[in-house]
Parts: sequence; C-alpha cells; structure tokens
Amino acid sequence: MADKSNDPVAIWQNMIGEMEKGFNAFANKAMESPEFSRVVNQVGGVSAGAQKQLGDMMEKYLVSMNLPSRAQMVSMAERLQSIEGQLNEIKAMLHQIHGQSGAPAGGYPAAPRPPRTKRPPSAGGEQK
Amino acid sequence: MNAPSGLDLASIPERIQAEVQRAIQRSIKGVEYIASSGPSLGSTPKDILSVRGTMNLYHYRPMADEIYRVPILIVMATTNRGYILDMVPGQSFIEFLLKRGYDVYMLDWTAPKPEEKSLAMEDYVLDFIPDCVRQVREDSGETDVTVIGYCFGGVLSLLYGSIFAGGPMKNLICFTTPVDFREMKLFQNFSDKRYFDVDRLIDSVGNVPPEMILSSFEMLRPASRAASQVQLWENIWNDEYVKSYRMFDRWATDTLPLAGEYFRTITKDLMWDNKLYNDAMSVGGRKADISKITVPILHAVAEHDHIVPYDAAKPLIQKIGSADKEEVMLKGGHVSLVAGANAIKRLWPKLDSWLGERST
Repeated sequence: MADKSNDPVAIWQNMIGEMEKGFNAFANKAMESPEFSRVVNQVGGVSAGAQKQLGDMMEKYLVSMNLPSRAQMVSMAERLQSIEGQLNEIKAMLHQIHGQSGAPAGGYPAAPRPPRTKRPPSAGGEQK
Repeated sequence: MNAPSGLDLASIPERIQAEVQRAIQRSIKGVEYIASSGPSLGSTPKDILSVRGTMNLYHYRPMADEIYRVPILIVMATTNRGYILDMVPGQSFIEFLLKRGYDVYMLDWTAPKPEEKSLAMEDYVLDFIPDCVRQVREDSGETDVTVIGYCFGGVLSLLYGSIFAGGPMKNLICFTTPVDFREMKLFQNFSDKRYFDVDRLIDSVGNVPPEMILSSFEMLRPASRAASQVQLWENIWNDEYVKSYRMFDRWATDTLPLAGEYFRTITKDLMWDNKLYNDAMSVGGRKADISKITVPILHAVAEHDHIVPYDAAKPLIQKIGSADKEEVMLKGGHVSLVAGANAIKRLWPKLDSWLGERST
C-alpha cells in the first residue's frame, strides 16, 4: 500500500478536513459569546420582518399578475404527492379486484396481511 | 536525488494516470450531475391512512410472510421530512424493518400552511400523536403500539408517553432526543432570552420560515457545507458517493417551516425554562413528567452529534421511570446514526435485536 504521508491527494484531503474542523471549532467558540447572539438576533429580527414584508408584497404582485406564488406551488406539489399516493392505493385495489371474479356482497376485502405470529430469533423464531 | 522516505517512485506514473482519468471523469460526471435529477427517495410502497393539515400517517406494506404482533409508529421530527428513514432500496431503515418482520406506520409532516400558524404543542401531543396511535390500533387490530421518535419526534413521543402513561404505548425508542436543553449550547445562545424576541418574530412571520431553521442548523458547522462541496467535486467520478451525497443533501436542505405557536412553546418552555428537564413541563394543562413513563425504552445517541450533544440527551435514561431501559451510544453523527452505511452496520441491527424480543 502506498504511504499516505507522501500522497499529495491524501495530504490535500487531510488538509481540507483539518481546515473544516478548525474553522468550525473557531466559529463555534465565537458563536458562544453573548455579543454574537445580540448581533445575530438584531440582524435576524430585522431581516425576518423585512423578508416577511417582501414576501407579502411579492405575493400581492404575483396575484395581480395572475401568477402562482412559491407557497402556492409548494402546496400544489404536496397535493400532487398526496394524489399520487391515493392513485397508487387505487391501483393496488384495482389489481386486487382484477384477480377476483365478482364483488362479494359485503364489498371487497382488505388486502391480505401476513399473520402476526413472528417470534424473535432468540425465542426460537425463524430468521427470514 | 533521493526520494523522500515512504514515497514509492515506481507508483508515480500509475498515480498520475489515475488522477488524469479522474479529472476527465469529473468533467463528464460534473455535467451529468447538473443535468440530472437525484435518486428517487421515500419510495417504499405505502398507503396513506390519513392526511390532516400538516399531519400525514402512512402505513408501509409488509414485506415479510410473518410479522411481529406489535406494530411500530415512527414519529418524525417536525423540522424535517420522513424520507431520511426511507432513502433508497438497500439504504432504507423502513425497508429494513419491513424485511425483518415489523409492521411499520409513520407520522410524517408537511409544511404547515400560513393558516396553521396557531398549531400549538397541544395539537401535536394531545391530538396528532394520539389520533395516529388510535388509527394504528384500528388498522392493525392490535392494542399495543411501539413508538419510535427521531430527534424532536422523540421529544414529542416522550411528552405523549408521559401524559398517556397508562397506554397503549408498549415500547419507546428514541433516537438522539434532547431532554436537558441547557446543554444545547449554541441553540441556547442563538435563542438567548435577552436578545431573541420570539414573540415579535412569531407575530411578524406567522410560521418560522424553513430558511431560518436551515441556517440555524448550518451555523452549527459553518464550514461544513463548503467542505462538502469540495469533497463532492473530488469524488464526482464515484457514482456511489454522488448518489449518497445527493440523497443527504436533498434531505438536509428540505427543511420544514415550524408552526408559530408551537415554536413559541419550544423556545419558552424548553429552550428558556428547560421545563422537560426540570419536571415542570405541561401540555394543554396536563403535566408531562417523563418519570411517569414505565414502558421498555431504548435511547440511541451518536458519539459525534453536533445538533443534540450527548450532555443534552444523557438525562433521558436517568429520568425515565422504566425499569427496562437502555442507552446505546454509537459511532456517527446526528444523521449518520439513523441513515447511511454507518446506520446499516450499527443502529439497525441493534434496534432489531432489542425490539424483536419486545414485539410479541
């Protein structure tokens, strides 16, 4: 095996790793100070308020342009995901129905579930 | 001229050739990376049992011929999506559980809408979780349920378990769950009572934006994102590395907003007053004392967890009322404890051996 202490790629990777650790540790130390908290919260509070105002303005602008906002797009994507999930469920039911000659009087039975009889290997249960 | 000790001169041309090959591959794969979408995540077959606002309850289709009697309800952290536990086949915790014969349900969250800003801790602990437990019991036909909570999902599970100590929770498993919030030092400083006006924030933004949650997580390791980009470029010729990077990167940046009132309670009761640790926590007027929990409990913590440091998680086992309790510290970080190669090797088999015996 090649000696990693002379491998320039390994040296480079090690250097990146050490720099990351060093910078994180240094930054964490700085972030522990109350001064940091004060400044971050001052700036953060202002920027959150400004961001909210900008978001509201943008939303109004998009409505006036008859365009969807980001929140509406995210909500639509989530609805689509939910519809996809329900379609999958319907597909599974259709597969099940397809295998049957006719609907029973009491409706279609739920998909068969495995028996709840499994025992742990330590209790002599079979490993599958 | 002598070669420095340990340097194998004969291997240099070979090494140069390999590096040139990799450089070419990086250029090709780099273009592919930009042009392609990432792997499809969270694709283990499941049925949606219930969707109510931010709450989603899934049932995963069993994969074994025979399953354990007691079903599992996984309570996901409210800041992130549940697909961290269902990455891709072969690297999915859910798939692992199904193949080992467990019946798995998951309480996952979607982004609360602006009109859900008034969702409070009560809604999560006294409504969403009990409702899901009720549905799991109804759907499985079993009276007992094992609850698994990840990170803040663990805190919610502890609150639920302490308020509903009489059942039907049969076992509790927590992953990296904080109890002593004083020990989350950086989060403590970010939310310092003297400078952080949580009321003003919630009153102005409604729900806490996901960007704010993400940046507070990233601030804990400010250099790591840049370093991971460098590592990605170095390894972009390696398809497995890229696939794994994309999975975790997509999940990490897919942060959820937090409902305003809920965040207000987290800040005031947990971060400021440390009520869970001080046995002073109550939800909707009902006392939540974790010493009331007496069911078997396993708490898995990570050795290098930068989000929930060990000192914040340690008191869980000390304070819980259960006689059958175990804490296991495993190598890894907050995320690699539960997902990826490290989890496959360490946490998953440990959980299986612990839970199997308690699931009949």
